[in-house]
Amino acid sequence: MKLSWVPLAVAGLALAGFALRSPSTNEGKKVDYRFSEAPVNAAGIKSLAELRGKPVLIDFWGTR
Amino acid sequence: MPTAVKHQRELGDDVQVIFVECQGAERDTYEAFAWRMKWMGNAAMWTHERPMEMPGSGLPQTALIGVDGTVILQGNPGALGKRLSEALEAEIKKSKQPPADAPAELKKAWTMFLKGDVAGALAECDASTAPAAADTRTEFLARTTARIERVKRLLDAGDFGLAERQTAEIEKAVKSNAELAAQIAEQRARLNDPANAREREAAKAFDALVDKIATEKPFDAGNVKKMSALAEKFSGAKAAEKAARFVELSKLRAGA
Repeated sequence: MKLSWVPLAVAGLALAGFALRSPSTNEGKKVDYRFSEAPVNAAGIKSLAELRGKPVLIDFWGTR
Repeated sequence: MPTAVKHQRELGDDVQVIFVECQGAERDTYEAFAWRMKWMGNAAMWTHERPMEMPGSGLPQTALIGVDGTVILQGNPGALGKRLSEALEAEIKKSKQPPADAPAELKKAWTMFLKGDVAGALAECDASTAPAAADTRTEFLARTTARIERVKRLLDAGDFGLAERQTAEIEKAVKSNAELAAQIAEQRARLNDPANAREREAAKAFDALVDKIATEKPFDAGNVKKMSALAEKFSGAKAAEKAARFVELSKLRAGA
């Protein structure tokens, strides 16, 4: 009976850890992307991988 | 003006800004909008493709990708505030130094590479007995061949001005490496080909006009007229196509 608490406690801790992580960020993740259509002003760049070694600032915005 | 435009203008080649339109606007619409707002004429790129997820609901949203491709920060730029500019500054600093995890034996190779001596850095890797030397060499080669590929694409697009600058830098960097020197020599031959003289001249005229008008009411009648004249004068050249596109964009109603 005592042993059944162990998996429950582990699952509880995992859930708490998940809840504490910010759901609204990719921070800490490695990203790569290949553009299917060359961006405006792409200057020959087709993917994020080609920019490795240089910081990239992505600005999500809306025209409207 | 978005802070990112300022960063691109002020930091130049040290950073790459990518604007991602997230409200479903067409390419013509956001490109015309960017011209009208005087945000063009710098190296920032504009797209509607999201290179990564944009969790959360709020716009604007900014993400800083570090030199190794890891997302350092993501969130509302206002809320990130000083943290964003400090993190960006730190990444720029990192971009000019060997990676922190580079083995001591390969720091010299990295320093040479980052200072623009690609051939020397490759030779340093070849002479090294460090276990990571082969991977480091592969990384240097991958980054350099990507730059050469980029020059090819610039020439394909008629962007001769930037292609010339990039070619000159790469030539200097790979001078004593026969294989890479041969690859960039092919692009130099395309650049200097007399058959491309008109493309070169058109690109030069287009770049000069963009530099002049980008931050000063680009769509003013006088500027549109100059761009239209350029399109006509160099008809058939790729830069003339870009000039004609600018003229068409200027006709789009603001907010359309």
